Amino acid sequence: MIRNLIFTIIIGLVIVSSSCNEKAVLQEIPLSALGTEVVLSSEAGFDNYLTGLYFSARDELMTRKDRNFYYFMNVGTDVACAGILSWRDTDNYETSLTPSAAIVGFYWTWAYGEMIQRANIIIANANRSDNAGMWSSQKKKNEVIAQARFFRGYTYNVLANLFGGVPIVDTVYGYPKTDFVRSTRAEVYDFAKEDLEFASTWLPATVPANQEGRIVKAAADHLLSEVYISLGNYPKAIESASRVIESGLYRLMTERFGSAKGRDGDVFSDMFKLNNQNRRSGNLESIYVWQFEDQTPGGAGTAGYKNILRVWAPFYVNLRDPLGNTGMIVVDSLGRSVGGCRPTNYLVYDIWEDNWDNDMRNSPYNIRRVWYYNNPASPYFGQQVEKKTTETDTMQNIFPSIRKVEGVRGATTNIADGSTIEDFIVYRLAETYLLRAEAHFRNSDLQGAADDLNTIRARAGAKPVLPAQVSLDYILDERARELIAEEPRKRTLMRMGKLVERVKKYNISAVTRNTISEKHELWPIPQSEIDANFSAILEQNPGY
Amino acid sequence: MMSNDFLKRVAFCYLLMLTTLSVYAQRTELSGTVTSELNEPLAGVSIRIKGTNIAAQTDTRGHFIIPVDGPTTLIFSHIGYSDKELEVDGERIVSVVMEQNTQGLNEVIVVGYGVQSKRNITGSVAKVAVDKAEGTPTMNIAQTLRGKVAGVQFTSGSRPGQNGTVLIRGRRSLTGGNNPLIILDGIFFNGGLTDINVNDIASMEILKDASSTAIYGSRAANGVILITSKRGTTNKPQVRVNSLYGTSNASHVMKLLDSRRYIQKTLDVRRELGLPSNPEDIRQYLTSSEAENYDAGHVIDDPWKAISQQAALATLDVNVSGQGKNVNYLLSGSLADEQGLVYNDQMRRYTFRTNLESNLTNWLSLGMNSTFIQRNTSDKPANPTDALWMSPFGSLEYEDQEPTLYVIREDVAKNPLYDARLTEYEAIWNNLFTNFYAKINAPFLHGLSYRINFSPSIRWGHNYSYLRQDQHREINNTSASKFNQQDYDWVLENILTYKTRIGRDHDLDATLLYGRNHFGYESTTANASQFPADPVKWNRLDMAILQTNSSDATASDGSSLMARLNYGFKNRYLFTFTVRRDGSSVFAANNKYAAFPSAAFAWVISDESFVANSKIIDFLKLRVSHGVSGNQAIAAYQSLSFSGLTRYVFGDGGTTSIGLYSANMGNPNLKWETTTSTNIGLDFELFRGRLNGTVEAYYMDTDDLLVRRSLPITSGYTSVITNIGATNNKGIELSLNTINIRSKRFEWSTNVVFSRNINKIVHLYRSDINGDGREDDDLGNRWFIGKPINVGYDYVWDGIYQDGDAIPAGKKPGDVRLKDLNGNGVVNADDRTIIGPTTEPNFRWGITNEFRLGGFSLSIFLNAMQGWVANIDELNMRNFTLPSRPFNMFDMDWWTPENRSNTNSSLTYVNSLGHGKYFSRNFIRIQDVTLSYAIPPTLLHKLKLSSGKVYIGGRNLHTFTKFPGLDPELGYNVNSLYPMPRTLSFGLNFSI
Repeated sequence: MIRNLIFTIIIGLVIVSSSCNEKAVLQEIPLSALGTEVVLSSEAGFDNYLTGLYFSARDELMTRKDRNFYYFMNVGTDVACAGILSWRDTDNYETSLTPSAAIVGFYWTWAYGEMIQRANIIIANANRSDNAGMWSSQKKKNEVIAQARFFRGYTYNVLANLFGGVPIVDTVYGYPKTDFVRSTRAEVYDFAKEDLEFASTWLPATVPANQEGRIVKAAADHLLSEVYISLGNYPKAIESASRVIESGLYRLMTERFGSAKGRDGDVFSDMFKLNNQNRRSGNLESIYVWQFEDQTPGGAGTAGYKNILRVWAPFYVNLRDPLGNTGMIVVDSLGRSVGGCRPTNYLVYDIWEDNWDNDMRNSPYNIRRVWYYNNPASPYFGQQVEKKTTETDTMQNIFPSIRKVEGVRGATTNIADGSTIEDFIVYRLAETYLLRAEAHFRNSDLQGAADDLNTIRARAGAKPVLPAQVSLDYILDERARELIAEEPRKRTLMRMGKLVERVKKYNISAVTRNTISEKHELWPIPQSEIDANFSAILEQNPGY
Repeated sequence: MMSNDFLKRVAFCYLLMLTTLSVYAQRTELSGTVTSELNEPLAGVSIRIKGTNIAAQTDTRGHFIIPVDGPTTLIFSHIGYSDKELEVDGERIVSVVMEQNTQGLNEVIVVGYGVQSKRNITGSVAKVAVDKAEGTPTMNIAQTLRGKVAGVQFTSGSRPGQNGTVLIRGRRSLTGGNNPLIILDGIFFNGGLTDINVNDIASMEILKDASSTAIYGSRAANGVILITSKRGTTNKPQVRVNSLYGTSNASHVMKLLDSRRYIQKTLDVRRELGLPSNPEDIRQYLTSSEAENYDAGHVIDDPWKAISQQAALATLDVNVSGQGKNVNYLLSGSLADEQGLVYNDQMRRYTFRTNLESNLTNWLSLGMNSTFIQRNTSDKPANPTDALWMSPFGSLEYEDQEPTLYVIREDVAKNPLYDARLTEYEAIWNNLFTNFYAKINAPFLHGLSYRINFSPSIRWGHNYSYLRQDQHREINNTSASKFNQQDYDWVLENILTYKTRIGRDHDLDATLLYGRNHFGYESTTANASQFPADPVKWNRLDMAILQTNSSDATASDGSSLMARLNYGFKNRYLFTFTVRRDGSSVFAANNKYAAFPSAAFAWVISDESFVANSKIIDFLKLRVSHGVSGNQAIAAYQSLSFSGLTRYVFGDGGTTSIGLYSANMGNPNLKWETTTSTNIGLDFELFRGRLNGTVEAYYMDTDDLLVRRSLPITSGYTSVITNIGATNNKGIELSLNTINIRSKRFEWSTNVVFSRNINKIVHLYRSDINGDGREDDDLGNRWFIGKPINVGYDYVWDGIYQDGDAIPAGKKPGDVRLKDLNGNGVVNADDRTIIGPTTEPNFRWGITNEFRLGGFSLSIFLNAMQGWVANIDELNMRNFTLPSRPFNMFDMDWWTPENRSNTNSSLTYVNSLGHGKYFSRNFIRIQDVTLSYAIPPTLLHKLKLSSGKVYIGGRNLHTFTKFPGLDPELGYNVNSLYPMPRTLSFGLNFSI
């Protein structure tokens, strides 16, 4: 009977379809994602993972335009306080630096969630047994590990500067771990030292021009010098810095060079002009440079290009002419800033006192002290801005401005954005000298310290310092003259234990001076991290 | 604005319908079949010729024969079904579909893979009165669930075309999905509820307990919504038209500072910061560009108004249906057009449906249910969050009427209309969902049948966007992007059923299923920026200077095996046993499969002799069920660890290098989340149908929760998906229908729905690190043992510090006083506590009263939720960052030395502990009011219509609440400040 047959055939089909290999179908092979171990099984794959690490390293500038690295590493120190009214909450140490403060969480997340994790994955996989035969040479393998260990050491140094002792994580956890405990600050510095010693041994001395921005040996030695100072091992600090200074690869720039050579300026201002940061430009002073590139994917970080101008210069667009009408408009030659960091008198007056006219770093090319009304609609157009007296004007709208931060905006960057596209120098030889000077000083070699300081001062045309005048405070003054808006000032002060003392002495915000106390030499551990780490107690820093 | 075009289209379609009236010839004898809505033959239906005593009855196959003479009206009646009149004029064969009484016990209920009479249901299944949606501006079928079904929480969005969320019996999963499974005509529907044309729907059932959901196994733990589309029900082709037009306004807005209050804010914040604050110098305290508008008197006192538009909605739905001896059909088309309350916010939707079933022979039938939906959400709406920050002295336009980028030059508060006005945006989403099926009755064994379903679902869509040149910017800001997505899913199911009766007392009904399913997704995005000129838009991306692209794809597969046995003894003791075994690719290699069993028992007490003669009890049934269902609500590949993507450029003028990093922690042991639930229910009908209802209680344990748990970032990852811990939901539900007054011309009936769900976390990591004998909470995730899944955990407000109070160091008058809960003299992290549940209320209830007088009926529906809270950060002060900038804010009564508020802090309060500000979300709402008028038969006859109804309706008419946010039901989200519409509508339904 045909109906029976048809029915049986169809039911048969059910059985056939059931017998298809279900197991194979349920096996998951991602269509659009690559597993970590799949990538980390060739040298090219390791380079991709290293590039991911370089991206995170540049993101230390922070994932936001305002109140970023440049801001938080300078306000509430001896060099700056908040300028714009709406940011002055950070003047108050007591209320703004708390375990739930965003900045505290940012550093922790950046360090552990990105830098250390990415470095550990590279290091762990490089040593994976099934990768043993993959490496073209042991040297190649060690160069890869050296880059990862540099960044890991760099990050632990940052953490130890800011938080003191933190948990040391040197591996990749494949399971939820909630029982981290803190090591001591010295242990963390020591861990960083080990990483950097390895990096110094295996990193290349130089990289090709099209690879600039990659870590070289001198970067590891430079940082080692700082870490050895923190460990109290001054001879090793001097030795590390000397390896850089005596390598023959680096020298302080003394002649005009690069893209702005033909324009008004001096060699100091040249170092911060577009395309003048990498060695290819002739800048042989730079050691480690964060790379920015306009109009190229990857040429900007999470928060876009360099947002230093936006934070450091005055909010001049708010200036009124003497009639009370709009005096200034935003122009490219000045860029746009919101007056985030208001320099202290210490920074823009005191430290130049003895060398006002001869120190190149105080030249009109490096500090802008004179402003002109630029609104064509104002009758005061072209006239010099007169002395202002209201608090809003002098704190936020007009003040002597560090010109290192000025620059060129990207082709599609809105003028109000305030970002610029120059690369950013993380380490340059001048700071290596300053580190060696500090090591000499701490090692009781005042002459050696003075010699290193004078090398830098000579380039700037400043009068030499006498050995007897050298002190830690003097070194900090020199760092301010040379490295302002480059070095993370707050970290330098916290590393040296000088933050509270110098804030009370130099900060121009009474609120800041009155609210800072000893506990602020260290930041609090983020509350969210203490909450999440519920299987062990992550000790909070004292006083928080 | 609603276009005139659209109204013309409506009118045209009406005309078209009227011309399809047909004329039929005369005959003298009639035979036919009567079936239920679900195509089951109805036996014992009595048929009577109107105005005579001539009558007949259907046999067991639903057949009947009756002599007729000329144009005649037949009246069909059957217990549990509405009487039906049929006009015949010469036809020889008719087939009639009878619709069940909504309260009838023989009402047919769709259950998974089959139908059952309401009387015989053993699980917890709620049928939704879909027809009640008529007369309300229902664009989304889920709106009919709101407050009408016990245990179901529906929350709609406030914007056109939004799906809203449905929660059945609370939240089980901590981070896995909590969305119920939607089954449309028997097949998983991978689309939004807004994609379904409300007028296409014949019935909607909610499966709540494990016994009824277990047959859907792995996806059913959050409950199941079964939706069945309409079929032809009349011999004569029937044309139905539904049309509606409505306008909306904002039911509530959160007031911003007007120009006067803004100036006050500027002065107050300056004064408290110790800066000059002389009202006469206000020009100096405003920014230059604000001062220009201040001088010129250009003031925007209500930014909300500046970004709003006239909201309206219109729908038109036409369907044609009918059935012949061997064919049953329904064709429908609908269009809906909705304009939101915010500028450029709109949605247009077309749907088409074809349902067709053909009986090739008496043992084989073939059919298809197919629907196509196109949803158009083009145009970029204005951004209300930007409007929140807008200074009243800002400018939205330049003098040439081009939009400004920032409302004031000096600061970066974005113009809320900038993107809306400069962006051309096209967003179209298509969904073609079809089920092809064949049904075969086994020739050799009566009662054995086989059904095969094959259901392809193709969804595709695109978002194209172009930002044109801003004439006031000095750069080339043009950019375009094209996003194309295509999803392809299919479901294949083989279903064997066998139904028989053994002896007189034993009814057996067995179902076996084997199925496979596949889900696939792919997308491509292409971006380009800096075009030479505007006109090419996204059509020539290669003309732009900088181009980037990206693509994505995922696929997942599943298999299922299911068996169900229904056994009834004496039609009084009813048992259901089911088991389903599912396999899914999304789980880790060792845990691909899981099995989900369940059992249920129902006892029809009213059939027992000791109740049968009761004058009070018409019907009484006790139901008990117990079973397990699963949740696989995680995306593909989540058990694996894979690489994220970044880029970097080395060297000057260099090219892009690809950066990869480990993006997540894998979990090789990831497995099913399972829910074990027990349900007890009592269905009753009393006082001859005047009171009926259901009381239910349930207890659900969910184990091996799929949890995206936060990790200490120290471990390198922020979170990982794991199976961990357990949650519990228990609750009671009550549904009551009463007929309070029933007379010839007047009827008053009431429907009451109440539910209470208690949700709590039972276990997390089963750790007790601090050794207090109590399992540890997870503070990082804000998960607390014994508390609901989503709670506010924060400091407790204790008013505002006033002059003369004992004020601790670092605080000043006007600061928030927080409670020192542990009394140790310091307010710190240890003083946080649980404020209340944030996503689910403790109680939900709804009351619908219906009054019918002659052809008029009035329905008033109140909806309420109580016992939940929400944090509104923008009614709190974080620090003076925002008040001291040229930004607007919600107008709150902030503390000043003169205005010593005890509920709001001063403008300069620095919220250093990052605490929130919580408000109760309790509300009672007049949700829907509908007044309708059924056109009387005499008039219908003149109009040559078979039915007709006009109505006016109001939705969201008034809300009684103290919640200051936009809407207590929606909660608060600063990124979604769309006001909730209040809608008045007018509608018309008729059929020919």
